Amino acid sequence: MSADGSGVDVCAFWVGDAVYGIDVARVDEVLPRVVPLPVADAPEYIEGVVHVHGTAVPIVDLRRLLPAGSPPRSAKPKVILARIGRRRVGLRVDAMAGVRRYTVAEIRPGGAAKGVLGVTSDDCRLLDLHGLLANR
Amino acid sequence: MIADPGSVEALLARFRYRPDEETAGMVDLAASPVEPERRPGAEDLQLLTFGLGAAEYAVALGTVTEILRARPLTEVPRARPPLLGVLNLRGVITPVYDPALRLGLATAPPVCAGPDCERPPRAARILVVRTGLGPAGLWVSRVRGVQRVRPAALERPASGLTGGVIGVLQTVEGGCTVVDPEWLLR
Repeated sequence: MSADGSGVDVCAFWVGDAVYGIDVARVDEVLPRVVPLPVADAPEYIEGVVHVHGTAVPIVDLRRLLPAGSPPRSAKPKVILARIGRRRVGLRVDAMAGVRRYTVAEIRPGGAAKGVLGVTSDDCRLLDLHGLLANR
Repeated sequence: MIADPGSVEALLARFRYRPDEETAGMVDLAASPVEPERRPGAEDLQLLTFGLGAAEYAVALGTVTEILRARPLTEVPRARPPLLGVLNLRGVITPVYDPALRLGLATAPPVCAGPDCERPPRAARILVVRTGLGPAGLWVSRVRGVQRVRPAALERPASGLTGGVIGVLQTVEGGCTVVDPEWLLR
């Protein structure tokens, strides 16, 4: 979260051919190789759970939740461990795109897909993780 | 599409992380709490995991005083399994036992002492543990490492059936059984 509240630091990543972003304050760590344990009867966008430092964390495949084209050829899939309130989820993404800082003026509200809060001037879609994952 | 200029702030309010934000309605697959600032907890269990054949076991790290590369032992005449032999550990005669026999994983002990002793496998180790009667050695196939777990992560066995089994730890790499080293020597 930025100190003055007028802008925002975004952890950006690729899902398919689009860049999405979440608040960097949500991100605990980025894991390179994750093999989730499948869970019976889980929704199809849940890959499974992994053990992270003693707690089980569900892994959400964002590629199944967001309109995804084919990923960039240089894609290195990663799992982002992110916080939603007091819970944690792992987000499967196609590649990381770094941390970016946006001012309020660079953000346009609205977005075509469910869970997208707004779009920045360089076409990074800001995600509402709770809105994306709740009530599916 | 919302057009008023204040809505970007409203958008950012939803975008930004707050520890108290709503999580209702999300699929609930696993207890995945954000851990409160984790001090290297005094209540954490530290386990030394080791292998016996194909199986994985663990003992509380505090009971282990040292780990030795397995070496030929001195034989004890008429020693009964699971006693394999003795070891001179800096002047202290230390008996070495085979936990695999106690756990029913093997029927015959390896020949680790005496003239026709085999050369110990490269990965084999002797865990020297503290017991009420002085130090004792446990001959294990390999040592995997130290794992720090919260006591709640340990699945306890139903009471009355326990023997020396303190609990079972399930991890992604597979389970390991936490045992009481003194019970292995009995």
